[in-house]
Amino acid sequence: MSIALIGLKALVGGLAVVGFSLIGQAGHPKRFAGLFSAAPSVALASLAMTVVAKGAGATLPYAQGMLIGSAGMIAYCLVSLVLINRLHALLGSILAWLAWFAVAGGLYLGVGR
Amino acid sequence: MLRKARPPELLIRFVFGGGIALVAAIAGSVFGPRFGGLFLAFPAVLPAALTLIEKQEGTTKAWADASGGVLGAIGLAAFAFTALQLLRSNPLVALALALLAWLLMSGGLYFLFRETGLFLRQDRFLTRSR
Repeated sequence: MSIALIGLKALVGGLAVVGFSLIGQAGHPKRFAGLFSAAPSVALASLAMTVVAKGAGATLPYAQGMLIGSAGMIAYCLVSLVLINRLHALLGSILAWLAWFAVAGGLYLGVGR
Repeated sequence: MLRKARPPELLIRFVFGGGIALVAAIAGSVFGPRFGGLFLAFPAVLPAALTLIEKQEGTTKAWADASGGVLGAIGLAAFAFTALQLLRSNPLVALALALLAWLLMSGGLYFLFRETGLFLRQDRFLTRSR
């Protein structure tokens, strides 16, 4: 993958996150707005750019990896709920990353490689 | 109405979002696209977002945002699954339909939880330890 394409993916990914967060901020209550915290903004941007640059075939393994990663994301969100209660947002949401690594990493090593 | 977006908050989201897109692209290049794809579902922005919400509106609001995130994450799996099924045929339409799948799954679960009172049970279960 060229450096230009990698850089472009980063730029477009960042813009996509901002776009989705602006939509999410329009939502209320907070719980509904929270749906957009787990929106597929980066995925959408990255996959679309891969389609354009390399064709559909190149996106399939990324999508497979993403499916595995999304299991980790569900685990992350559940664990962060418990930890935010006990530890407050910053520490709780960072420690919850361990759940993502455990679930996504475990599934990838077990079935995803 | 759109809450007035604070530029520093948007910049933080841009940096974290762009950062994880960069990680996914580099990881995909170095270790293979399936490995890179993992990071398309990594919660890069959430810690910063939840911390900002807690700072501005309190822990309860941050927690509410995170609880919505659970349903959004289930929708994320629906997005990935839909994309996988359809990418081979018409990739850009596939991504549009995958986004719709995310919206329908997350939004559908949200309204189901709300109308059936499951949110209240979830809240009670998860705050029991406090």
